[in-house]
Amino acid sequence: MYEFSYHKASSLEDARSTLATAEDGKLLAGGMTLLPTMKQRLAAPTVLVDLTGIDMAGIEGKGDNIVVGAMTTHAAVASSSLVQQTIPALAALAEGIGDPQVRNRGTIGGSVANADPAADYPAALVGLGATVVTSKRSLSAEEFFTGMFETALAEDEIITAVSFPVPEAAAYQKFPNPASRYAIVGVFVAKTANGIRVAVTGAGGSVFRNAEMEQALASNFSPDAVKNIAVDSSGLNEDIHASAEYRAHLVGVMASRAVAAM
Amino acid sequence: MDISGEQQIDAPRERVWEALNDPEILRQCITGCESLEKISDDEMKAEVLAKFGPVKAKFKAKISIEDQIPPASCRLVGEGQGGVAGFAKGAAVITLHESDGGTRLEYKADMQVGGKIAQIGSRLVSGTTNKIVGEFFEKFPTLL
Repeated sequence: MYEFSYHKASSLEDARSTLATAEDGKLLAGGMTLLPTMKQRLAAPTVLVDLTGIDMAGIEGKGDNIVVGAMTTHAAVASSSLVQQTIPALAALAEGIGDPQVRNRGTIGGSVANADPAADYPAALVGLGATVVTSKRSLSAEEFFTGMFETALAEDEIITAVSFPVPEAAAYQKFPNPASRYAIVGVFVAKTANGIRVAVTGAGGSVFRNAEMEQALASNFSPDAVKNIAVDSSGLNEDIHASAEYRAHLVGVMASRAVAAM
Repeated sequence: MDISGEQQIDAPRERVWEALNDPEILRQCITGCESLEKISDDEMKAEVLAKFGPVKAKFKAKISIEDQIPPASCRLVGEGQGGVAGFAKGAAVITLHESDGGTRLEYKADMQVGGKIAQIGSRLVSGTTNKIVGEFFEKFPTLL
Protein backbone atom coordinates (compact mmCIF):
# COMPACT_ATOMS: atom_id res chain seq x y z
CA MET A 1 0.00 0.00 0.00
CA TYR A 2 1.20 3.52 -0.74
CA GLU A 3 1.14 6.28 1.85
CA PHE A 4 -2.07 8.19 2.29
CA SER A 5 -3.61 10.41 4.95
CA TYR A 6 -6.56 9.18 6.96
CA HIS A 7 -9.41 11.36 8.10
CA LYS A 8 -12.22 10.07 10.27
CA ALA A 9 -15.15 12.32 9.45
CA SER A 10 -17.20 13.59 12.37
CA SER A 11 -20.20 14.64 10.31
CA LEU A 12 -21.59 14.38 6.80
CA GLU A 13 -20.55 17.98 6.12
CA ASP A 14 -17.03 17.28 7.42
CA ALA A 15 -16.78 14.27 5.10
CA ARG A 16 -18.10 16.21 2.14
CA SER A 17 -15.79 19.21 2.59
CA THR A 18 -12.72 17.05 3.22
CA LEU A 19 -13.47 15.07 0.09
CA ALA A 20 -14.08 18.22 -1.94
CA THR A 21 -10.73 19.76 -0.99
CA ALA A 22 -8.65 16.56 -1.25
CA GLU A 23 -6.57 16.25 -4.39
CA ASP A 24 -7.43 12.59 -4.90
CA GLY A 25 -9.74 11.64 -2.05
CA LYS A 26 -11.84 8.53 -1.60
CA LEU A 27 -14.64 7.71 0.80
CA LEU A 28 -14.10 4.66 3.01
CA ALA A 29 -17.19 2.77 4.15
CA GLY A 30 -16.55 -0.91 4.87
CA GLY A 31 -13.49 -0.93 2.64
CA MET A 32 -14.21 -4.40 1.28
CA THR A 33 -13.32 -3.41 -2.28
CA LEU A 34 -11.22 -0.29 -1.77
CA LEU A 35 -8.71 -1.70 0.74
CA PRO A 36 -7.80 -4.85 -1.25
CA THR A 37 -7.41 -2.62 -4.32
CA MET A 38 -5.07 -0.30 -2.41
CA LYS A 39 -3.10 -3.23 -1.01
CA GLN A 40 -2.56 -4.44 -4.56
CA ARG A 41 -1.42 -0.92 -5.42
CA LEU A 42 -4.08 -0.72 -8.09
CA ALA A 43 -5.38 2.48 -6.54
CA ALA A 44 -3.53 5.12 -4.59
CA PRO A 45 -5.85 7.79 -3.21
CA THR A 46 -4.00 10.48 -1.26
CA VAL A 47 -6.76 10.94 1.34
CA LEU A 48 -9.18 8.41 2.81
CA VAL A 49 -12.29 9.85 4.41
CA ASP A 50 -13.64 7.28 6.85
CA LEU A 51 -17.42 7.38 7.27
CA THR A 52 -17.64 5.01 10.26
CA GLY A 53 -17.75 7.92 12.72
CA ILE A 54 -20.97 9.28 11.22
CA ASP A 55 -24.18 7.78 12.48
CA MET A 56 -25.62 6.34 9.27
CA ALA A 57 -26.26 2.72 10.28
CA GLY A 58 -29.64 1.30 11.15
CA ILE A 59 -32.87 0.00 9.67
CA GLU A 60 -36.30 1.45 10.24
CA GLY A 61 -39.81 1.22 8.86
CA LYS A 62 -41.23 4.47 7.50
CA GLY A 63 -44.75 4.07 6.17
CA ASP A 64 -44.62 1.50 3.40
CA ASN A 65 -40.85 1.71 3.15
CA ILE A 66 -37.90 0.07 4.84
CA VAL A 67 -35.11 2.63 5.14
CA VAL A 68 -31.61 1.19 5.44
CA GLY A 69 -28.85 3.59 6.52
CA ALA A 70 -25.86 3.73 4.17
CA MET A 71 -23.41 2.38 6.74
CA THR A 72 -25.57 -0.64 7.62
CA THR A 73 -23.61 -3.85 7.12
CA HIS A 74 -24.85 -6.77 5.03
CA ALA A 75 -24.91 -8.88 8.22
CA ALA A 76 -27.19 -6.35 9.92
CA VAL A 77 -29.62 -6.40 6.97
CA ALA A 78 -29.54 -10.22 6.87
CA SER A 79 -30.30 -10.58 10.57
CA SER A 80 -32.81 -7.74 10.93
CA SER A 81 -36.16 -9.10 12.05
CA LEU A 82 -37.87 -6.11 10.43
CA VAL A 83 -36.33 -6.91 7.01
CA GLN A 84 -36.96 -10.64 7.47
CA GLN A 85 -40.65 -9.97 8.11
CA THR A 86 -41.28 -7.32 5.46
CA ILE A 87 -38.84 -8.09 2.60
CA PRO A 88 -37.43 -11.57 3.29
CA ALA A 89 -35.86 -11.61 -0.19
CA LEU A 90 -33.67 -8.64 0.78
CA ALA A 91 -32.51 -10.33 3.99
CA ALA A 92 -31.70 -13.51 2.03
CA LEU A 93 -29.82 -11.50 -0.61
CA ALA A 94 -27.68 -9.82 2.07
CA GLU A 95 -27.02 -13.23 3.66
CA GLY A 96 -25.65 -14.46 0.33
CA ILE A 97 -23.08 -11.68 -0.23
CA GLY A 98 -19.42 -12.74 -0.05
CA ASP A 99 -18.30 -14.41 3.17
CA PRO A 100 -18.91 -13.61 6.88
CA GLN A 101 -15.96 -11.20 6.96
CA VAL A 102 -17.33 -9.21 4.04
CA ARG A 103 -20.87 -9.26 5.44
CA ASN A 104 -19.69 -7.93 8.80
CA ARG A 105 -17.66 -5.07 7.33
CA GLY A 106 -19.23 -4.33 3.96
CA THR A 107 -22.05 -1.78 3.85
CA ILE A 108 -25.02 -1.19 1.58
CA GLY A 109 -23.87 2.35 0.80
CA GLY A 110 -20.38 1.17 -0.15
CA SER A 111 -21.69 -1.61 -2.35
CA VAL A 112 -24.16 0.62 -4.13
CA ALA A 113 -21.65 3.47 -4.65
CA ASN A 114 -19.08 1.04 -6.08
CA ALA A 115 -21.70 -0.31 -8.55
CA ASP A 116 -19.81 -3.49 -9.31
CA PRO A 117 -21.54 -5.13 -12.29
CA ALA A 118 -21.70 -8.42 -10.38
CA ALA A 119 -22.82 -7.08 -7.00
CA ASP A 120 -26.10 -8.35 -5.52
CA TYR A 121 -27.59 -5.16 -4.05
CA PRO A 122 -28.15 -3.35 -7.39
CA ALA A 123 -30.62 -6.12 -8.37
CA ALA A 124 -32.61 -5.54 -5.17
CA LEU A 125 -32.60 -1.76 -5.59
CA VAL A 126 -33.82 -1.87 -9.18
CA GLY A 127 -36.07 -4.90 -8.62
CA LEU A 128 -37.89 -3.26 -5.74
CA GLY A 129 -37.83 0.24 -7.22
CA ALA A 130 -35.83 1.61 -4.30
CA THR A 131 -34.78 5.22 -3.77
CA VAL A 132 -31.17 6.19 -3.12
CA VAL A 133 -30.97 9.09 -0.68
CA THR A 134 -27.79 11.17 -0.83
CA SER A 135 -26.38 14.25 0.85
CA LYS A 136 -27.96 16.29 -1.97
CA ARG A 137 -31.07 14.60 -3.31
CA SER A 138 -33.13 11.45 -3.79
CA LEU A 139 -32.74 9.31 -6.90
CA SER A 140 -34.60 6.29 -8.22
CA ALA A 141 -32.40 3.18 -8.46
CA GLU A 142 -32.69 3.25 -12.25
CA GLU A 143 -31.46 6.83 -12.41
CA PHE A 144 -28.70 6.01 -9.97
CA PHE A 145 -26.95 3.13 -11.77
CA THR A 146 -25.60 4.56 -15.02
CA GLY A 147 -23.06 1.97 -16.17
CA MET A 148 -20.27 -0.36 -15.21
CA PHE A 149 -18.92 1.02 -11.91
CA GLU A 150 -20.71 4.22 -12.78
CA THR A 151 -23.40 6.01 -10.84
CA ALA A 152 -25.13 9.36 -10.94
CA LEU A 153 -23.21 10.43 -7.82
CA ALA A 154 -21.31 13.71 -8.05
CA GLU A 155 -17.69 13.85 -6.83
CA ASP A 156 -18.61 15.19 -3.42
CA GLU A 157 -21.98 13.48 -3.02
CA ILE A 158 -22.46 10.89 -0.27
CA ILE A 159 -25.15 8.21 -0.03
CA THR A 160 -26.95 8.42 3.31
CA ALA A 161 -29.66 5.75 2.99
CA VAL A 162 -31.54 3.43 0.67
CA SER A 163 -35.33 3.32 0.94
CA PHE A 164 -37.06 0.12 -0.20
CA PRO A 165 -40.83 0.06 -0.81
CA VAL A 166 -42.25 -3.12 0.73
CA PRO A 167 -43.40 -5.41 -2.13
CA GLU A 168 -46.29 -7.89 -2.12
CA ALA A 169 -43.76 -10.63 -2.75
CA ALA A 170 -40.18 -10.88 -3.98
CA ALA A 171 -37.36 -13.36 -4.49
CA TYR A 172 -33.72 -13.26 -5.55
CA GLN A 173 -31.82 -16.10 -7.12
CA LYS A 174 -28.22 -16.03 -8.22
CA PHE A 175 -25.70 -18.29 -9.80
CA PRO A 176 -22.70 -17.38 -7.68
CA ASN A 177 -19.06 -17.58 -8.59
CA PRO A 178 -18.02 -20.36 -6.18
CA ALA A 179 -14.92 -18.48 -5.01
CA SER A 180 -16.09 -14.88 -4.60
CA ARG A 181 -19.87 -15.41 -4.33
CA TYR A 182 -20.28 -12.55 -6.75
CA ALA A 183 -23.26 -13.14 -9.03
CA ILE A 184 -22.30 -14.60 -12.40
CA VAL A 185 -25.98 -13.86 -12.97
CA GLY A 186 -28.53 -12.82 -10.35
CA VAL A 187 -32.20 -12.08 -10.93
CA PHE A 188 -34.51 -10.23 -8.55
CA VAL A 189 -38.24 -10.60 -9.20
CA ALA A 190 -40.77 -8.50 -7.29
CA LYS A 191 -44.53 -8.03 -7.28
CA THR A 192 -44.85 -4.36 -6.41
CA ALA A 193 -47.62 -1.79 -6.23
CA ASN A 194 -46.41 -0.60 -9.66
CA GLY A 195 -46.47 -4.02 -11.29
CA ILE A 196 -44.00 -6.83 -11.70
CA ARG A 197 -40.32 -5.98 -11.90
CA VAL A 198 -37.46 -8.20 -13.04
CA ALA A 199 -33.92 -6.90 -12.42
CA VAL A 200 -30.77 -8.65 -13.62
CA THR A 201 -27.27 -8.23 -12.19
CA GLY A 202 -23.97 -9.86 -13.18
CA ALA A 203 -24.98 -10.37 -16.79
CA GLY A 204 -24.27 -6.93 -18.24
CA GLY A 205 -22.11 -3.91 -17.52
CA SER A 206 -24.70 -2.70 -15.06
CA VAL A 207 -27.98 -3.89 -13.56
CA PHE A 208 -30.91 -3.83 -16.01
CA ARG A 209 -34.61 -4.70 -16.17
CA ASN A 210 -36.04 -7.26 -18.56
CA ALA A 211 -39.30 -5.85 -19.91
CA GLU A 212 -40.24 -8.99 -21.85
CA MET A 213 -40.13 -11.10 -18.71
CA GLU A 214 -42.07 -8.50 -16.74
CA GLN A 215 -44.86 -8.58 -19.35
CA ALA A 216 -44.89 -12.37 -19.51
CA LEU A 217 -45.18 -12.60 -15.73
CA ALA A 218 -47.93 -9.98 -15.64
CA SER A 219 -50.20 -12.26 -17.68
CA ASN A 220 -48.99 -15.59 -16.34
CA PHE A 221 -47.09 -15.55 -13.07
CA SER A 222 -45.37 -18.92 -13.28
CA PRO A 223 -41.78 -20.16 -13.66
CA ASP A 224 -42.60 -21.51 -17.14
CA ALA A 225 -43.58 -18.04 -18.34
CA VAL A 226 -39.99 -16.80 -18.18
CA LYS A 227 -37.98 -19.99 -18.59
CA ASN A 228 -37.99 -19.96 -22.38
CA ILE A 229 -37.74 -16.25 -23.05
CA ALA A 230 -34.58 -15.83 -25.09
CA VAL A 231 -32.22 -13.18 -23.80
CA ASP A 232 -29.98 -11.42 -26.33
CA SER A 233 -26.36 -12.15 -25.45
CA SER A 234 -24.87 -9.21 -27.35
CA GLY A 235 -23.19 -6.78 -24.99
CA LEU A 236 -23.29 -9.16 -22.04
CA ASN A 237 -20.23 -9.86 -19.91
CA GLU A 238 -17.77 -12.53 -20.89
CA ASP A 239 -14.90 -13.95 -18.85
CA ILE A 240 -13.18 -17.23 -18.02
CA HIS A 241 -16.13 -18.25 -15.85
CA ALA A 242 -18.96 -17.81 -18.32
CA SER A 243 -19.49 -16.76 -21.93
CA ALA A 244 -22.04 -14.12 -22.89
CA GLU A 245 -24.34 -16.85 -24.30
CA TYR A 246 -24.14 -18.81 -21.06
CA ARG A 247 -24.96 -15.72 -19.04
CA ALA A 248 -27.92 -14.98 -21.33
CA HIS A 249 -29.23 -18.50 -20.71
CA LEU A 250 -28.72 -18.15 -16.95
CA VAL A 251 -30.96 -15.06 -16.87
CA GLY A 252 -33.97 -17.21 -17.83
CA VAL A 253 -33.01 -20.00 -15.43
CA MET A 254 -32.48 -17.66 -12.47
CA ALA A 255 -35.68 -15.73 -13.26
CA SER A 256 -37.75 -18.93 -13.29
CA ARG A 257 -36.14 -20.09 -10.05
CA ALA A 258 -36.92 -16.74 -8.44
CA VAL A 259 -40.57 -16.97 -9.53
CA ALA A 260 -40.76 -20.54 -8.24
CA ALA A 261 -39.41 -19.37 -4.88
CA MET A 262 -42.16 -16.76 -4.43
CA MET B 1 -9.49 -11.79 -26.27
CA ASP B 2 -10.82 -10.98 -29.73
CA ILE B 3 -12.61 -7.73 -30.38
CA SER B 4 -14.10 -7.01 -33.73
CA GLY B 5 -16.78 -4.88 -35.23
CA GLU B 6 -17.58 -2.26 -37.79
CA GLN B 7 -18.82 1.26 -37.82
CA GLN B 8 -20.39 3.38 -40.55
CA ILE B 9 -18.91 6.87 -40.56
CA ASP B 10 -20.45 9.74 -42.51
CA ALA B 11 -17.24 11.09 -44.06
CA PRO B 12 -15.05 10.30 -47.07
CA ARG B 13 -12.43 7.60 -46.71
CA GLU B 14 -9.48 10.01 -47.06
CA ARG B 15 -10.83 12.16 -44.23
CA VAL B 16 -11.27 9.14 -41.94
CA TRP B 17 -7.75 7.95 -42.76
CA GLU B 18 -6.36 11.41 -41.98
CA ALA B 19 -8.22 11.54 -38.67
CA LEU B 20 -6.96 8.11 -37.66
CA ASN B 21 -3.46 9.45 -38.13
CA ASP B 22 -4.09 12.65 -36.23
CA PRO B 23 -2.76 12.32 -32.67
CA GLU B 24 -4.96 15.15 -31.36
CA ILE B 25 -8.17 13.54 -32.64
CA LEU B 26 -7.14 10.14 -31.32
CA ARG B 27 -6.32 11.59 -27.92
CA GLN B 28 -9.77 13.11 -27.63
CA CYS B 29 -11.46 9.84 -28.59
CA ILE B 30 -9.65 7.59 -26.13
CA THR B 31 -11.18 7.78 -22.66
CA GLY B 32 -8.54 8.66 -20.08
CA CYS B 33 -5.85 9.47 -22.66
CA GLU B 34 -3.65 12.19 -21.18
CA SER B 35 -1.14 12.50 -23.97
CA LEU B 36 -0.56 11.01 -27.38
CA GLU B 37 2.19 11.98 -29.75
CA LYS B 38 3.64 10.79 -32.99
CA ILE B 39 7.30 9.92 -32.73
CA SER B 40 7.65 9.07 -36.40
CA ASP B 41 5.45 8.22 -39.39
CA ASP B 42 4.80 4.79 -38.03
CA GLU B 43 5.17 5.16 -34.26
CA MET B 44 3.14 6.81 -31.51
CA LYS B 45 3.41 6.94 -27.76
CA ALA B 46 0.59 7.56 -25.31
CA GLU B 47 -0.23 7.88 -21.65
CA VAL B 48 -3.62 6.61 -20.58
CA LEU B 49 -5.17 6.75 -17.13
CA ALA B 50 -7.31 3.62 -17.01
CA LYS B 51 -10.11 3.77 -14.46
CA PHE B 52 -12.46 0.97 -13.72
CA GLY B 53 -14.23 0.75 -10.43
CA PRO B 54 -11.76 1.32 -7.63
CA VAL B 55 -8.79 0.65 -9.90
CA LYS B 56 -6.82 3.56 -11.27
CA ALA B 57 -3.67 2.78 -13.21
CA LYS B 58 -1.59 4.81 -15.61
CA PHE B 59 -0.46 2.98 -18.72
CA LYS B 60 2.41 4.09 -20.90
CA ALA B 61 1.84 2.73 -24.34
CA LYS B 62 3.84 2.44 -27.54
CA ILE B 63 1.97 1.88 -30.74
CA SER B 64 3.49 1.11 -34.11
CA ILE B 65 1.58 1.39 -37.36
CA GLU B 66 2.45 -1.34 -39.82
CA ASP B 67 1.40 -2.36 -43.32
CA GLN B 68 0.05 1.08 -44.15
CA ILE B 69 -1.97 1.20 -47.38
CA PRO B 70 -3.49 4.70 -47.39
CA PRO B 71 -6.40 5.23 -47.33
CA ALA B 72 -7.50 1.61 -47.15
CA SER B 73 -5.92 -0.28 -44.29
CA CYS B 74 -3.26 -0.55 -41.63
CA ARG B 75 -2.26 -2.71 -38.74
CA LEU B 76 -1.68 -1.29 -35.26
CA VAL B 77 0.56 -3.10 -32.82
CA GLY B 78 0.69 -1.79 -29.30
CA GLU B 79 2.00 -2.51 -25.87
CA GLY B 80 1.15 -0.69 -22.66
CA GLN B 81 2.96 -0.90 -19.33
CA GLY B 82 0.98 -0.10 -16.21
CA GLY B 83 3.73 -0.56 -13.62
CA VAL B 84 2.59 -2.80 -10.75
CA ALA B 85 -0.87 -2.97 -12.30
CA GLY B 86 0.33 -5.08 -15.20
CA PHE B 87 0.41 -4.76 -18.93
CA ALA B 88 -1.77 -4.84 -21.98
CA LYS B 89 -0.71 -5.66 -25.49
CA GLY B 90 -2.44 -6.29 -28.73
CA ALA B 91 -2.73 -5.83 -32.44
CA ALA B 92 -5.55 -4.51 -34.54
CA VAL B 93 -6.24 -4.54 -38.26
CA ILE B 94 -8.25 -1.57 -39.46
CA THR B 95 -9.84 -1.54 -42.89
CA LEU B 96 -11.70 1.36 -44.49
CA HIS B 97 -14.26 0.69 -47.23
CA GLU B 98 -16.16 3.21 -49.30
CA SER B 99 -19.85 2.66 -48.70
CA ASP B 100 -23.11 4.60 -48.96
CA GLY B 101 -21.31 7.86 -49.64
CA GLY B 102 -19.39 7.45 -46.40
CA THR B 103 -16.88 5.05 -44.95
CA ARG B 104 -17.30 1.69 -43.32
CA LEU B 105 -14.56 1.12 -40.76
CA GLU B 106 -13.87 -2.49 -39.89
CA TYR B 107 -11.68 -3.47 -36.97
CA LYS B 108 -10.41 -6.77 -35.79
CA ALA B 109 -8.20 -6.83 -32.74
CA ASP B 110 -6.60 -9.38 -30.51
CA MET B 111 -5.68 -8.25 -27.04
CA GLN B 112 -3.96 -9.71 -24.00
CA VAL B 113 -3.87 -8.36 -20.48
CA GLY B 114 -1.42 -9.60 -17.87
CA GLY B 115 -0.23 -8.93 -14.34
CA LYS B 116 -2.36 -7.99 -11.35
CA ILE B 117 -4.97 -6.23 -13.40
CA ALA B 118 -5.65 -9.51 -15.21
CA GLN B 119 -5.79 -11.53 -12.00
CA ILE B 120 -8.24 -9.26 -10.28
CA GLY B 121 -10.00 -7.70 -13.18
CA SER B 122 -10.37 -10.57 -15.64
CA ARG B 123 -14.14 -10.52 -15.29
CA LEU B 124 -14.11 -6.80 -16.11
CA VAL B 125 -11.68 -6.66 -19.00
CA SER B 126 -14.20 -7.40 -21.76
CA GLY B 127 -16.76 -4.97 -20.35
CA THR B 128 -14.16 -2.23 -19.99
CA THR B 129 -12.83 -2.82 -23.49
CA ASN B 130 -16.31 -2.68 -25.01
CA LYS B 131 -16.90 0.57 -23.19
CA ILE B 132 -13.67 2.17 -24.41
CA VAL B 133 -14.31 1.04 -28.00
CA GLY B 134 -17.92 2.28 -27.78
CA GLU B 135 -16.87 5.68 -26.47
CA PHE B 136 -14.19 5.94 -29.16
CA PHE B 137 -16.72 5.53 -31.96
CA GLU B 138 -19.17 7.84 -30.26
CA LYS B 139 -16.67 10.69 -30.26
CA PHE B 140 -14.69 9.94 -33.42
CA PRO B 141 -17.37 10.93 -35.99
CA THR B 142 -18.04 14.18 -34.11
CA LEU B 143 -14.43 15.31 -34.61
CA LEU B 144 -14.29 14.80 -38.37
